Amino acid sequence: MTNRNVVRAAFVIAVALSFSIGSLRYSIGTFAHAGPGLFPLVISTIVLLLGVISLIQSRYEDPVQMTFAIRGFAIILTSFCGFAAVSYFIGMAAGIVFMVFCASLAGSSFSWSRSLKIAAALLVVALLMNKVLNLDLPLY
Amino acid sequence: MDIINNLAFGFQHALTLSNLMYCVAGCVLGTIVGLLPGLGPLATISVLLPLTYSMPLVGALIMMAGIYYGAMYGESVSAITMRIAHSSSIVMCIDGYQMSQKGKTGLALFTAGLSSFIGGTVAIFVLAALAPQLGEFALKFGPADYCALMLLGFVCVSFFTTGSLVNGFTMCMLGVLLGQVGGDINTGVQRFTFNLPFLSDGLSIVSLSLGCFGIAEITNNLGRKVQNTPFSGKIKLMPTWAEFKRIIPSALRGSVVGSILGIIPGGGPVLAQFGAYAMDRKLSKYRDEMGQGAIEGVAAPAAADEAAARTAFIPLMSLGIPETATTALMLAAFIIKGVHPGPNMIVDHPDLFWGLVASMWIGNCFLLALNVPMVRMWLSLFKIPYSVLFPAILFFCCVGTFSANRNLQDIYVTGMFGALGYVFFRLGMDPAPLMLGFILGPMLEEYFRRALLMSEGNFGIFLESPISATLLALTSLFILWQIVKTFSGKKSKKANPALELQAPNDA
Repeated sequence: MTNRNVVRAAFVIAVALSFSIGSLRYSIGTFAHAGPGLFPLVISTIVLLLGVISLIQSRYEDPVQMTFAIRGFAIILTSFCGFAAVSYFIGMAAGIVFMVFCASLAGSSFSWSRSLKIAAALLVVALLMNKVLNLDLPLY
Repeated sequence: MDIINNLAFGFQHALTLSNLMYCVAGCVLGTIVGLLPGLGPLATISVLLPLTYSMPLVGALIMMAGIYYGAMYGESVSAITMRIAHSSSIVMCIDGYQMSQKGKTGLALFTAGLSSFIGGTVAIFVLAALAPQLGEFALKFGPADYCALMLLGFVCVSFFTTGSLVNGFTMCMLGVLLGQVGGDINTGVQRFTFNLPFLSDGLSIVSLSLGCFGIAEITNNLGRKVQNTPFSGKIKLMPTWAEFKRIIPSALRGSVVGSILGIIPGGGPVLAQFGAYAMDRKLSKYRDEMGQGAIEGVAAPAAADEAAARTAFIPLMSLGIPETATTALMLAAFIIKGVHPGPNMIVDHPDLFWGLVASMWIGNCFLLALNVPMVRMWLSLFKIPYSVLFPAILFFCCVGTFSANRNLQDIYVTGMFGALGYVFFRLGMDPAPLMLGFILGPMLEEYFRRALLMSEGNFGIFLESPISATLLALTSLFILWQIVKTFSGKKSKKANPALELQAPNDA
């Protein structure tokens, strides 16, 4: 079993270390005349300490099972990025239709007619946004 | 007299047709997101933040504030009728739901509506009286004092939103680190940008908030698969005179507690309702009934969370330092619009400040009119399945990201942050403190460096100023209390049945 608390602490330590090492590339200066690297170094050191504390804590706490539900997330991300790609090559109206149909696959049930109705409603909302809020969305 | 004159001035601005429309839109949206599970004010304000680019300043802020306090009303309705606990209505699930079980749903809803109105009204006077005073006091704040205040805010928010100081504070500090990406304010050196052009101005607040609260939230809710059965019981709204008399004192007590707890760092509506409930358990004549469907168990928390949602604006508008994640996003909206809240804002933008305050009271009236008589219509919203809602939320995320800079590539960046938000969610890391840290990070760095420049590198400056020393002492006491509590192993939560319910994340 993967203990979520241990993974979390390891993640925090990894982020802190990458920021610490990154900040050493910039001038540190002194506390009186701080360089651009000083503040990130101070903060990343604090984060590193907090990560170590979390790691120690996780040894004394009950382990929490880590779960992944990657399917839903992958579909949502695909529909989101697909919206940008379709909008770029065809137009935002097509992007909206793609996004609704793709995202609906992540729901508990898929229905063509329901997705069509949602897409139509969102197209109307997008048109209204152009008219009322002057957003000037490139729909077609 | 000054307050009356200023409020009259505020009403002149708030009562224009367009501002009234924004106020109604905010209240209606707030009620909807408050009612529906899986959408909170924090996520909604994130989604709507980019749309404020195309709105007038006062209108945009009036609408966002409406969403924040409107959500408190909506949350109480779903807590009473269906025992759905949102962030600020956990306590209401106890007595409110008990009342509903006893067939007193109408009375509970009326109590919540009226108490919220009383709480909101009291808090507006506190806001109108206190914010300008605190603004004047804030002129005495030096860089060290601001640093200490932010630190206290981080520590309190960390604990109150996540329940774990270490986890919450880690998220705050990670937020501060993410805020470091981009050009250094003093030297202009590009930090952590990897020569990527879209990082040169720093991480986009819109992308980060939409990624963490929009995309990650949707994925989170999809995994839950909770079916809510719409409420179908009877609703008789009007109370008897005896019941009415029980509401008022309790709501007033709740208003006072909420107004105070809303101002303190990390407080906000969640803490306020716990505080008010605990107080009524001690002071109310009917304390023996509390927990079994007492009117006071609804009136006090309803008034308190509504009051706190308004007084939470006091530190934001008078000091320029938000003390909750939601008000931090409001700060982002101010900054997008080129206004920097702080001691001078009330003098420089009186129309904005007083207009916003007056609109809060107008919103209060709207909410009372909208929610109490039309509650059945709102409850029918539960018939909308989540599979219809989430493509719509996703649509707003897409359009929002695009409209911030009119750039389709920004959507990929938001997607990237969505992945980060998903990792946070899977690792049990709450993104609310991260947002606060991210928004305040650059300010913290600026004040930290300025304080040390003034003292020539001597950390004593943080203890020399009485304001800073007091704030740091409070922070230390809070941390010490947490350490002692951890080692003693006593869980004070058990003392109060209300506190046994876990507080969800958005403060």
